[in-house]
Amino acid sequence: MKTFFSLYVASLKEMARDRMALFWTLAFPVLFIFLFGTIFSGGGPDTFEVGLADQDGGPASQGIAKAFGEVDALEITTGSEIELLEKVREGDLRVVVVLPAGLSASLEQGRPVNVPVHYDPSNQTTSTIVLPILFQVLQRIDRGLSGAPQLLQVEPVSVVSEGLRNIDFFVPGILAMAIMQIGLFGTAIPIVSLREQQVLRRLGATPLPRLTLLASQVALRLTMALIQAVLLLGVGIVVYDLQMIGSWLALSGFVLLGAAMMISLGYVIAAVSRTQESVTGLTSILNFPMMFLSGIFFPIELVPAWLSPAIKAIPLTYLGDALRQVMVDAPGSFSLATDALVLAAWLAVCTLISVRFFHWE
Amino acid sequence: MDQNAIEATGLRKYYNSTKAVDGISFQVAQGEVFGMLGPNGAGKTTTVEMCEGLRTPDSGQVSVLGLDVTREPEKVKARIGVQLQTTALYPRLTVREILDLFRTFFPGKESHDSDTLMDLMNLREKEKTLTKNLSGGQRQRLSVALALINMPELMFLDEPTTGLDPQARRNMWDVIRDLRKSGTTVFLTTHYMEEAESLCDRVAVVDAGKIIAMDTPRELVNQHFQESAIEFDDKQNLPEVGAFRTLPGVTRTRRDGQHVTLYTTDATSTLGGLSAMAARKAIHFDDLYVRRATLEDVFLKLTGKTLRE
Repeated sequence: MKTFFSLYVASLKEMARDRMALFWTLAFPVLFIFLFGTIFSGGGPDTFEVGLADQDGGPASQGIAKAFGEVDALEITTGSEIELLEKVREGDLRVVVVLPAGLSASLEQGRPVNVPVHYDPSNQTTSTIVLPILFQVLQRIDRGLSGAPQLLQVEPVSVVSEGLRNIDFFVPGILAMAIMQIGLFGTAIPIVSLREQQVLRRLGATPLPRLTLLASQVALRLTMALIQAVLLLGVGIVVYDLQMIGSWLALSGFVLLGAAMMISLGYVIAAVSRTQESVTGLTSILNFPMMFLSGIFFPIELVPAWLSPAIKAIPLTYLGDALRQVMVDAPGSFSLATDALVLAAWLAVCTLISVRFFHWE
Repeated sequence: MDQNAIEATGLRKYYNSTKAVDGISFQVAQGEVFGMLGPNGAGKTTTVEMCEGLRTPDSGQVSVLGLDVTREPEKVKARIGVQLQTTALYPRLTVREILDLFRTFFPGKESHDSDTLMDLMNLREKEKTLTKNLSGGQRQRLSVALALINMPELMFLDEPTTGLDPQARRNMWDVIRDLRKSGTTVFLTTHYMEEAESLCDRVAVVDAGKIIAMDTPRELVNQHFQESAIEFDDKQNLPEVGAFRTLPGVTRTRRDGQHVTLYTTDATSTLGGLSAMAARKAIHFDDLYVRRATLEDVFLKLTGKTLRE
């Protein structure tokens, strides 16, 4: 289709010559990564300070203390519960594990024991990295106690501690955010602008089929999304030693699905906005809550429960979640299948709405 | 072929309570330059858009090159050239790039290549300039070039010289005259009287969504004015304004502040009477001149308004 290809190439040239658009689409997300990398790399520790209050002193408790001590990623400090909790409040310790009195005795009798783990929930690293490590260690010990064969030894713990730094969390999140920007700022606003200036009307005076025009517009944005992915991933790998763990196929799949969904959302916004002022306003109103409530800057588990319906309603949440899982194998809040399904559903609904309500003039 | 290039019957288009086009009918013969003359808001652009297939009439129909534009828009659009009033284009493409791009919109139709068009419209030296860096006149030329890509049989030009300096306007008139010579039918809209008079074979005078007169420019003037007009400035504000009406030959008078227009069937006698009046009262009329009546006078007579409000 020569017409489609010419339109596609022409709009690529148009984009490539638009310095502002290039900045916001490509340079800005990269700057974001450098910003976060700088802020957090100083405090991106390889070990985490954990307090252990052994109130029991029995053989089982000593065994647990020893197991914790063997984990390279944990720096254990012992003391009384009160001392150690004070240190958590002061920020010297991330977590305090309390082994209550009577633990060893209960375990010997096969009775379950509650092991309190105190931590500061506002600290993202603690909740997303340290706690899982502790849980894994405790699980391993638990299995050992119940007599199940200890097949899983040190390996799983070291994967978690080596692979997941703050930057590993941010890069997929920022890619998700950048893809959303393409849908909002990169689609809705330019299209309303072209419509307002009657460029689209001029095209409508020629035999150019509307579908061809639409296809070329969408193809342009999908291309930009892929370029963003390559760029951000490249920066992450080269500068921050990001380990790309998941499959490239799954990554491309989610990038394209997420981009297609955000583009269709962009068309919905363009459909309901009459003027450039209203489209800029609407995209800004949508942009900021989506960015902050979708787990890109801090995990959604930390957001108060009453906001959780809002979080689940935001498509960016699922895109960020999927990219994190696929790129760095981070624990996900939803399954990949759920993520894909939600994004696909949003894509379908937005497409239907646009088809019904979008006007070229 | 004998059929008309455009046949419009009873076109109507309403926006809420505004009657933008209120029952317009006309025919444009092939090879003709047909003009729609009227002030802003008269309904010219809306009418043109209905012929181009960019707007659907609320009632009435229009056939373009024998085709119903609402039923077969693609066929019509392949054979017409359109220049819109606003000349917005992709801002960061060069002149050549946008000509090449638009050419791909007409697959299977014979079309001009970009070199030919740039030479034709004098845009060669701007070949590599981004469209956003073109001057007003250059943009107009480019939009005409775009309208010519598909070698159209019928060209729609909506206010082709608005906003152009006098030189650029003259150049555009030459382009339109060349189009006529090559046999292209031209439908243009304008609010410039001189444009309609010097370019158009026939003119439809429109106001408030209706055609109030339609004929050749000369016929329109002759029908409504067998007179000439004498104009001058009356700086002393003669109290007897009725005095002018009694001058020999005068049929109507019009005063616009200090500016007086006398319509007369016998300019010589009126001038004699004016000189006598001036001598008698020892007054001097400033900036006196005599001219033929124009389409502007026709419009003024029919609507009481000027073309440029």
